[in-house]
Amino acid sequence: MLFFALFRGIAVRRPSAGNQEVRSDANLHSRNSTAPDLVKILSVILWAPVVGALLIACVPAQRTRIVRAIALGAATATLFLAASLPFSFDSASADLQFFERRAWNPAMGSFYALGVDGISLPMVLLSSLLSLVATIASSTIHRNVKGYCIWLLALEFGMLGVFMAQDWALFYVFWELTLIPLFFLIDLWGGPYRHKASLNFVLYTMGGSVFMLLALLAVYKSSPDNSTAMDSMITAARALPPGTQLLVFGGLLLGFGVKMPLFPIHGWLPLAHVEAPSPVSILLSGALLKMGAYGLLRSCEMLPAAVVEFQPWLLAIALITVIYGGLIAWRQTDLKAMIAYSSISHMGLVLFGIASLNMTGLLGATLQMSAHGLVGGALFLLIGLLYERTHTREIGDYSSLIKVTPRFAALTTLTLLAAVGLPGSLSFVAELHALIGGIQRSGWWTLLLSIGIIVSAAYAFRTIGNLFTGPVRPAMAAVEDLRPAELLAAGALVAGILGFGIAPALPLDLITASVARLSAIF
Amino acid sequence: MLEALAASIPLFPLSAALLIAAGMVSGRLGGEAGECYTRRLALGAAMSSAIALLIVIGLRSRAAMPPQLRLGTWIASGRHRIDCSLTLDALSLSFAMLILLLGVAVLRFSGSYMHREPGFHRYFLVMTLFIGAMLILSLGGNGLLTFAGWEIAGVCSFLLIGYTHERPVAVANASRAFLTNRVGDIGFLLGLLLAVAWIGDLEWPKLLHAARKLQPIAATGLALCFLLAAAVKSAQLPFTPWVTRAMEGPTPSSALFYGSVMIHTGAFLVLRLQPLFEHSVPAMFCLMAVGALTACYGFLTGLTQTDVKSSLIFATVAQIGLIFLACGLGWWTFATVHLFAHAVVRGFQFLSAPSLMHRVAARPMRPVPAFLAHRPGLYHAALQRFWVEAATDRWIVAPVQRMAADVERFDREVVERIVGLPVPALGSLSSAAAWEESRLAATGGSGPDAREAGGVIRWMAHQLALALHWFEEKLVLQGVGADLWKGFRRFGQRLRAIDEALCRPRYLILLVIATLLSVK
Repeated sequence: MLFFALFRGIAVRRPSAGNQEVRSDANLHSRNSTAPDLVKILSVILWAPVVGALLIACVPAQRTRIVRAIALGAATATLFLAASLPFSFDSASADLQFFERRAWNPAMGSFYALGVDGISLPMVLLSSLLSLVATIASSTIHRNVKGYCIWLLALEFGMLGVFMAQDWALFYVFWELTLIPLFFLIDLWGGPYRHKASLNFVLYTMGGSVFMLLALLAVYKSSPDNSTAMDSMITAARALPPGTQLLVFGGLLLGFGVKMPLFPIHGWLPLAHVEAPSPVSILLSGALLKMGAYGLLRSCEMLPAAVVEFQPWLLAIALITVIYGGLIAWRQTDLKAMIAYSSISHMGLVLFGIASLNMTGLLGATLQMSAHGLVGGALFLLIGLLYERTHTREIGDYSSLIKVTPRFAALTTLTLLAAVGLPGSLSFVAELHALIGGIQRSGWWTLLLSIGIIVSAAYAFRTIGNLFTGPVRPAMAAVEDLRPAELLAAGALVAGILGFGIAPALPLDLITASVARLSAIF
Repeated sequence: MLEALAASIPLFPLSAALLIAAGMVSGRLGGEAGECYTRRLALGAAMSSAIALLIVIGLRSRAAMPPQLRLGTWIASGRHRIDCSLTLDALSLSFAMLILLLGVAVLRFSGSYMHREPGFHRYFLVMTLFIGAMLILSLGGNGLLTFAGWEIAGVCSFLLIGYTHERPVAVANASRAFLTNRVGDIGFLLGLLLAVAWIGDLEWPKLLHAARKLQPIAATGLALCFLLAAAVKSAQLPFTPWVTRAMEGPTPSSALFYGSVMIHTGAFLVLRLQPLFEHSVPAMFCLMAVGALTACYGFLTGLTQTDVKSSLIFATVAQIGLIFLACGLGWWTFATVHLFAHAVVRGFQFLSAPSLMHRVAARPMRPVPAFLAHRPGLYHAALQRFWVEAATDRWIVAPVQRMAADVERFDREVVERIVGLPVPALGSLSSAAAWEESRLAATGGSGPDAREAGGVIRWMAHQLALALHWFEEKLVLQGVGADLWKGFRRFGQRLRAIDEALCRPRYLILLVIATLLSVK
């Protein structure tokens, strides 16, 4: 919020802001294919969680059943609304769709502009799906349910906003907005080290976003339109001198890299994931990390020349992140920490796809974002539910769960196999694209990824072995299997992973046109 | 119509697997009552696809069916399109027939052998899945489909090695076997990637046709990638140890996996890639060397084994070494015939191994042959299986483990310190014992988890606060007192001294000249 005031301050000092607005108008309409008078479906989706949160605020805190029901209803409604988008989405067009826009701060030239293209639509779907899953998984939260549900819905609002915003000022506001609910969710409902985890998380992300803000301001100051709309910022950024472009991209990389996360700025992630309550871990790993990757894709679009300069560095960071995350995940005995580090490794693959800067690699990156969203969400869901039953995350404490909890065993095994990238899962399709893109761009360096692949198989299979096999222990003999609602949530995620893996045409159709447009600029 | 018929061959076992899985999850299928149903489902599916396969073979022999059948598009993205297609040539059809014949036989055998086992349904689920995967592998029309079948078959092998999941040894062996297989998978995947990069098409006929026109060095690289995959899957040197660990599974499954079908897939891949290998002399030489070495290794080691499954598996490995050798020498037809004959014979031997055990239980072991008995060094080496596994552990597994340890130490010492985590923060409270302890002692304060930042951020904030504090202390608070007046007086005296100096003529002239110069 404070940073936003900064934005305003600069805007006010520029007297020509108002005059230029007409031109930016024309600019925006060039990429807008839907008529502005239609039902503003994106706004409806975006604000649905807020309505839910407001409703919950009116309910007395003791009526937890009603509170949960409203939260569930709001998340379900959001998902259903979002799920209706692909039916009217024109996948042949790379343009922004369902576009809507109104002036927000005319003095500065910022807009309340929402729209989705093939890259952001899967992310919108993913966030709304995972929010519903997280809400279902929240039945394990018993303390201050009202506050918890409000923060959860607020988090969904922020995430959806990030993926829908078509104005950098709006994007930034939503970006920072996700921090506030997350801080409280971790700090109030987290594990024993929750205070440290939440504070670290917020400081790290804020530290990154300062650089992001400076980079955005640098672009904004040179913008001829004096508008923060993404289109105007793109033209402004590409007109910057090359040195400045590099600096600006460096700032954006830092801001988004913290969130993604990339080596060596991943320090906040393991603790935050481990300490967060499990529904929040689902969202953190499944959807929030994707915000970083998504922002990076958008900044690549903004500064193609700088990205080409940075390409070897991006590649190096990606390779290190993949191997580093994998090796550390292999060493973990804490299940949640293991999944957290494996998330780092998987997000490194997203960067690897981006760094190939060709269509196949970028397709791989966007697919991997969805694939890891589903896999990471499912893993944190299953392990979180297991933790609620056994109160241990130590892998050595588990044994023989296949006998006691066959549903858990089946779903977790399938998810871990998908995490390894076995054919038939969406991760495999994503990995294949990223690797093909990589081998076309960077040749033999791709070989190094094979270390990551083998290590990922090592920890996945060790986990399967330790969790589900072995002699029956008394402590593990009475673990309850998945309840129907939980089975539904986990089953939906696993079905998505397998279904889209066997028939990848559906997600590919959605994203191909937009990725083609993005890759054409390099 | 033709498409549906051909597609139904792998789909029958796969849908049987799906049905069994659905039955197990819903709880309808289980216990002894469901055994009959599961068995009939699995057998019926395998028989149906065998009938479909026979029809396809009949149609193909009358040339009423094309050798390459396109069913649809699997992955279409940008410039690359990967079809869902089937290759129906002599090699793939006969290998599919072999899979189904042995599959039906083993399923029939298992129906009685696994009777009243606790994991009866699980076993049949994995077996039908495996048969489906193998059919995809053999009939798959492009490299990627074959790879998919290849991987799923590998997972099935993992699941069956770990079948007796109460025994930790079985599970550890399953993981080890799968990890070794993963090395081969990477070879396969890399081969496919290179094929995409250099040839641009993965359909077998086009790929093999284009492979003849590749540069020799490129062809060698491509062939070696696939050779790696084939050598791992067929347990050739230096990857042989995984297959001895794979003997943990139930005997009928060992017969199907390591006696007959799966262990031959490596040789099948080499036969499938015949034009590619023929185009590259170094690859042929490697093929020959790997085959010859493995044959000797399997022969010598097999002589010293004392249990039936181990001696059978070393004999298998040696025979497949001979198949590789034949391929390397260019005797492709001979290798093909050898493959099919060996698969049938070895499958039978594995299936009859348990009854054999009953027959020979009382008889003494046959001693090792004289040439081996008189060479203690060689005998010892053979007994130790030539230390292949120990060498792998020492030269590959241990370095990677050490690297992981180093990386983790780096994370602890550098990254986490930058974040400012107390060293034992992560994972210290994750175990059940720690949880119990913390619950008992929950009355204490927040302990080490104070609400404060750490690491670099803390240090920076601390330094900033110190500087500001100093500023506040020195100038704002103390300054208003005597210090500030003293300072001002001293400042005034200095100013007066400068003023006096400037009033002297020489400085005045200097100042005027300087002014004139600067104005100009």
